[in-house]
Amino acid sequence: MLKSKKIVVLGHFGVGKTSLIRRFVTDTFSDNYTVTIGVHITKKVVEISVDKTMSLILWDLEGTDDIASIRKAYLLGTHGAVFVFDISRPSTFQHLKEDLRIVTEQMPDIPLMVVGNKSDLAEESELKNRLQENSISVDFLTSAKMGTAVNELFLKLATLLSSDA
Amino acid sequence: MYPKMNEQDKIDILKDILFAEEHEFEKKMAQRLELLEQTIHEREKLSEKVDPIIAFQINEFKESIPDTLGPVITETLKKQIKINKDAVVDALYPILGKMVKKYVAQEMKLLSEKMNNQFSFLSFWKRKFKSSVTGQNESELMFDNLASAKIEQVLLIEKDSGILKASYSQSQAMDEEMVSGMLTAIKSFVEDAFNQRNQDLESIEYELYQIHLQSFATHYMAVVISGNFALSAKDKLQDVIFDFYNSFMAMNLDLVFDTKNSEKSITPVAKSIIEKELSNYFSNVKI
Repeated sequence: MLKSKKIVVLGHFGVGKTSLIRRFVTDTFSDNYTVTIGVHITKKVVEISVDKTMSLILWDLEGTDDIASIRKAYLLGTHGAVFVFDISRPSTFQHLKEDLRIVTEQMPDIPLMVVGNKSDLAEESELKNRLQENSISVDFLTSAKMGTAVNELFLKLATLLSSDA
Repeated sequence: MYPKMNEQDKIDILKDILFAEEHEFEKKMAQRLELLEQTIHEREKLSEKVDPIIAFQINEFKESIPDTLGPVITETLKKQIKINKDAVVDALYPILGKMVKKYVAQEMKLLSEKMNNQFSFLSFWKRKFKSSVTGQNESELMFDNLASAKIEQVLLIEKDSGILKASYSQSQAMDEEMVSGMLTAIKSFVEDAFNQRNQDLESIEYELYQIHLQSFATHYMAVVISGNFALSAKDKLQDVIFDFYNSFMAMNLDLVFDTKNSEKSITPVAKSIIEKELSNYFSNVKI
């Protein structure tokens, strides 16, 4: 039986949430930045193993500088979450711990992936230094533009949800 | 020997003898006047005396208003309304406008439906004529008329997550899972924005389609309808939805309780079974 799971993707403005989803769902990328208003919903069926598939319903929430201001109604019934920040913009991860605290408070007991996007904008060693300086641990460093680690991110989340169910 | 009195002394003594009673009266009068002055100048004392009188007078006045002032007020109001009609309407509209508007809209809908039913004999002759001209079966033509509102799609959706539990559809034209998510997002947004979590979004109109939303405890149903979705059709549809909910959904705990948080062991109901039931309930419904 094909299971469906609700995944919310959230983070500050312009960190590349929509681009990550677009890369994952349609394997495309656009340099044109369009602001997400409210929420945009897409779907992708992922194959977790040979005989196991899962339908991921992706809720792309509009970006906000104040994570606490996210509409709580959108977070209800969420099975898994992805918090995205932009590794090239410190303002998007300077308060990461506080942001994550708010997110986990709103959605306790669900798998949460912390993702540093736009990894193509810095060298790997530089990236690591930057994360260490800010005491940040991430689950994935992705590049929606290059397609780096995007599928892996969602597949990992689906696997976690599959074993969770 | 008595001292010698002058004329004035004599008069005074005479006065005392003659006006003894008057003096007493004058004294009493002076005392009373003093008391009266005190009463007038001291509010509390005056209030004690006057209040019961005023209260009595007011009561009398109140009782007599309808007979005495009533006609005068009515006449004045009539005159004022005649003179300043617009001003009166402007003043009353914000208060009564909304109520009247809602009432009139509802009544007009019902009236329209009643009139349609009244004129149905015209449809009868029209149908007969059309049947004789085209050769088409009369019952088929009647069915065409009746099926003005048509159920296109039924989605059973988990309220919070927006996950589609099951669906029934005449034609697979859209991605039902995405639509379910989007409907839930719209529903959540509206209910959240208006800060009315205890009230539910009930319908969405989209060009030729109307989406009727019926909320339950943990799930809601979205029914996509094409054609003329009148008030009577809505009533019928709700009856079908409630029937479905009562006879099928309530029996399946998986739909009512969150499996993760429930302490009871729950047997999940297969999607195919729910979809079969949805089809049984909604495929032959005429609304």
